Amino acid sequence: MDSLHAIGFYVSAAISVGGGLLVAFLPGRGPRGIALAVSGLGIAGLYASLSADFAGLVALACYAGCALLIAGPRYRVVDTPVGFAWRQAGAVGAAALFAVLAYAAFRGDFVSASYRGGEIGTAAIGRVLFAHDALATEAVGALVLVALVGATAAWRARDRR
Amino acid sequence: MSAGLVPVLFVAVALVAVGAFVATWKRDLSSALAGLPLMFGGAGVAFAGAARFSAAGDPKIFGQEVAVLLAVAALALVALGVGIAGRGTSR
Repeated sequence: MDSLHAIGFYVSAAISVGGGLLVAFLPGRGPRGIALAVSGLGIAGLYASLSADFAGLVALACYAGCALLIAGPRYRVVDTPVGFAWRQAGAVGAAALFAVLAYAAFRGDFVSASYRGGEIGTAAIGRVLFAHDALATEAVGALVLVALVGATAAWRARDRR
Repeated sequence: MSAGLVPVLFVAVALVAVGAFVATWKRDLSSALAGLPLMFGGAGVAFAGAARFSAAGDPKIFGQEVAVLLAVAALALVALGVGIAGRGTSR
């Protein structure tokens, strides 16, 4: 990875993680949606710096959709009965997860190798998606279908009330 | 300046941890849904990084494929979650 890609990688990493933290701490659905969009922009930049340009484009579109859903007028608040102590324990668990995984990444013995990336490669990814791993693609397609049907049914049921 | 597999995995771990933090910290379940794309994004970055720095000679696109699938799945799950949560009150 050359210096330009490395700078892009670190800047994108800061944007994505910072945006994620803003999602946690910003009040209101509008700012949270914007923060999620910023985080998605950073994740797309990470993909681009890793020579996964097509994945970056798809991630950009998908995270923009997620941000619109979070910030949109269809958003509703559902309070959880879980108390503050349990949520704090979950947050500490997230920090512990970070520590364990970071230690595993730091202590891991990885092979260094060169890579001839740099092109978007939509045809190659399409061949993998629809030929080699067609079952996984079908599973995600079924998940999208169920999600859209479920969301539509839930919205229509609420509108009828 | 350079970046290898270890910084990529660090960033992926940070994204997963931030997503888990969002999912557990927010009292509102709909807000906690926003942690889901972050965790999926972290997993996708790990896959893309592993493919980018794999030892094979040819470019491996399996990681990119999984990253694409994870991004689409995250969008679908957020849409489903927001739809199911539609019986709450607007804020």
